[in-house]
Amino acid sequence: MKLTAPLERVLRVLVADPGASHYGYDLMKAARVPSGTLYPMLARLQQEGLVDSQWEDQRPDAGGRPPRKYYRLTAEGARVARLELARATTAASGTRHVAAWPAHGSPS
Amino acid sequence: MIRGSCRRFPADVGADRYREWTAELSAILDDASIRSSFLRALRALAFCAGIATTARQLSRPARADYRSAGNERWRTGAPRTRPGAMAVRVAIGLAAYLIVAGLVTVTTGLTAGSHLGAWPLLLVVPLGIGFDAYCLRDIARAADVRYLRKWVWALICLAQTPLGGILYLAIGRIGPAQPLPPMPPRT
Repeated sequence: MKLTAPLERVLRVLVADPGASHYGYDLMKAARVPSGTLYPMLARLQQEGLVDSQWEDQRPDAGGRPPRKYYRLTAEGARVARLELARATTAASGTRHVAAWPAHGSPS
Repeated sequence: MIRGSCRRFPADVGADRYREWTAELSAILDDASIRSSFLRALRALAFCAGIATTARQLSRPARADYRSAGNERWRTGAPRTRPGAMAVRVAIGLAAYLIVAGLVTVTTGLTAGSHLGAWPLLLVVPLGIGFDAYCLRDIARAADVRYLRKWVWALICLAQTPLGGILYLAIGRIGPAQPLPPMPPRT
């Protein structure tokens, strides 16, 4: 799967606490991703077994709000996400080096 | 809006998605971190638009497979039309248009000098509006239309009364929606 900028942001949110569950709106706010991007992304991740979802139990203190669906990284998902994010970080810093490189050679 | 989007899925998946997304919607509307209720409503609307996009994207592969499996009547029950039949319909539509236009012109000419004035022209306005409304209703209720997107046909109908509507009825119209054949299970 290609690591796009929104996917990277979502993975960073999920990896920050791999055990935690998030519902969709939570992720939308934390990763600043619109719903039209987030849900297809989650569906793909789920299809590949990197994310699983479960319905929350109806709690009596919930004030009658409907139960939400929570998403969480699987063990495999956490592994893959860390790998991909590390690779993205290396690539990004690599680009920075290249961009900075001519400055070393410039006579000043 | 969400309910409509969920109809794209097979019933069980759609019901599951519907429960999930309406719960999210109420989470947005109850979000205490956005103080203005107007902003909350805006965000809820944006959310629903995203849901529509999502449903379109997620339901596409299943439908594409279904269509390519040789199930031509997969959605509308409409067989391909022959160009000859289409030309005949265009001709009939144009003839009807010319007859009506001719009648209006003639009666306007006849009554021009009399106290009736230009009343046949006034008759044309509700006629045009009614025809547009009929076409738009037909487009809205159709499961599918030919060649162009529904909204493009709607624009054509509105832009060129009555020629756009005649073109739509002759070329774009497939007919009333047929009940969907059962969708294949999503894998």
